[in-house]
Amino acid sequence: MNPVLRKLQASLIQQPLFLNQAVSLCRATLLMEHLTWGTAAITTRQYKSMPTHGIGKWKHFLPKEVAKKKKDKHQMKQIVAATNTAYGTLNVKVSGYDMTVVEHYSQYIHNLCNRFGIKVSESYALPTKSTEVMLMPEQGTKMYVDAVLKTHERIVQLSSLNASLSPVFIDILLKNQPEGVQLSVKEHTEADYHARFKARPELEGLMAQMNQKDM
Amino acid sequence: MAAPCRRVVSRPVIQFLSSFSRTAVGKTGFRQFSSSSACRVTLQTQDVMERATSPYSLVAAVCLQRLPVISADYKPIEQQFRDMMLQMELEKSVLSDHELRLLEDAERLRRKLADDYDSDEEGSHDDQEIVLAQDLEDSWEQKLKTFQPAPRVRDDLDKNLNSVERCLADSLVLLAEQQVGGEKIWLLPQTQWQEGETLRQTAERALASLPAAGFKATFLGNAPCGVYKYKLPKAARTENSVGTKVFFFKAILSDSSPSTAPNKSIMWLKKSELERYLKPAYFMKVNRFILNL
Repeated sequence: MNPVLRKLQASLIQQPLFLNQAVSLCRATLLMEHLTWGTAAITTRQYKSMPTHGIGKWKHFLPKEVAKKKKDKHQMKQIVAATNTAYGTLNVKVSGYDMTVVEHYSQYIHNLCNRFGIKVSESYALPTKSTEVMLMPEQGTKMYVDAVLKTHERIVQLSSLNASLSPVFIDILLKNQPEGVQLSVKEHTEADYHARFKARPELEGLMAQMNQKDM
Repeated sequence: MAAPCRRVVSRPVIQFLSSFSRTAVGKTGFRQFSSSSACRVTLQTQDVMERATSPYSLVAAVCLQRLPVISADYKPIEQQFRDMMLQMELEKSVLSDHELRLLEDAERLRRKLADDYDSDEEGSHDDQEIVLAQDLEDSWEQKLKTFQPAPRVRDDLDKNLNSVERCLADSLVLLAEQQVGGEKIWLLPQTQWQEGETLRQTAERALASLPAAGFKATFLGNAPCGVYKYKLPKAARTENSVGTKVFFFKAILSDSSPSTAPNKSIMWLKKSELERYLKPAYFMKVNRFILNL
């Protein structure tokens, strides 16, 4: 389109005086054509339907490189402090021997919090603890293993609980508690957070050695 | 509290009546407005003073609940569903270690008893032959037979409204017979609020002051769960005491010493039985916060 306009301007320059009006009319009509041709050009660009469209592209042939995510150390979420009208970060711990019942109850608590508008910051499981029940027979002295009981624990961490809502909430939890499941509500501490991680004795030994050398 | 509202209402009326002398109206309007705000301020200060000398006396009551001890019985449809689910789970499940061992032992026994049995062909199994899985099962059955569970429902105890151990499958609420305004009525244990203590402490005091003491309760929070307001009969009303406001606090019974003899002045009732013993207006308010789940 531009060369057409350029030609028109050139013609304008050459015949400035008498063709002004005609030129302006032409310009107007050409502009209108340009406009219509422009709008038409937006919808039907002819080069995309050309068979050689995109012939020079090569980036899509290369394999997709995923940016290597550097694994950061897991940061602890901020422990919300208790105010005059609301409790801070609370841990609702559900524990029991029957895993399906414990999990279903913890899911029930989570859904109840969602319905009440209580913000749930985290919902995780602690590692299972195995307890061996050993019995002493009447005749002998050696104890033998009678049963292995596994205790499962699930924690629903609430970020803040309104003090006016808390009696209602706890009452509902207690009334809906299933059999064989223990419920406990405690405040969250840093020690609780660190208890989730495995201790690395070699690393701790090396750190202690380093500190000793510094000292 | 209605006084400023009335004044606000009257202001546009005056404006409408004398709309020509705007300045005068404006002045009166402003004066009224300012005066009403001043009155509002004075009313607020009066409120602050009135709060200390409100005509309502404050009382805190405790709603002590005993949670169910055993699981409730299944309704017929629940029982049917439960049977169906158990059957489905049994059909879809995989054999456990113990059951596999049973099958192996049975298979080995069958092979032993067959005529062409060659013990050298069997793999080495040292301690598997000593104790068969079937023997273990038999010993477990024997142990189960010696265990006698306590009966779930004891009719004599259920009828006794005073004992804590009635109706183990339901949650019960404590009701005490107290003297209120000259007559003894059944209500949730309550006492008068004293200066300088929180309402929750008053509720704890109410629980401790019951004649049948020995209730260890955990209060569920500092916020009350319900309110009941009543006015004294016209004869007993004075300037300072128009009525009473009762605030209810929820508590859960943690451990009650069963050695205390059941007292006639306290009752443990299910939610459905409360209506018979409480006054109607009181019952309507109390019913709202007692959950029957």
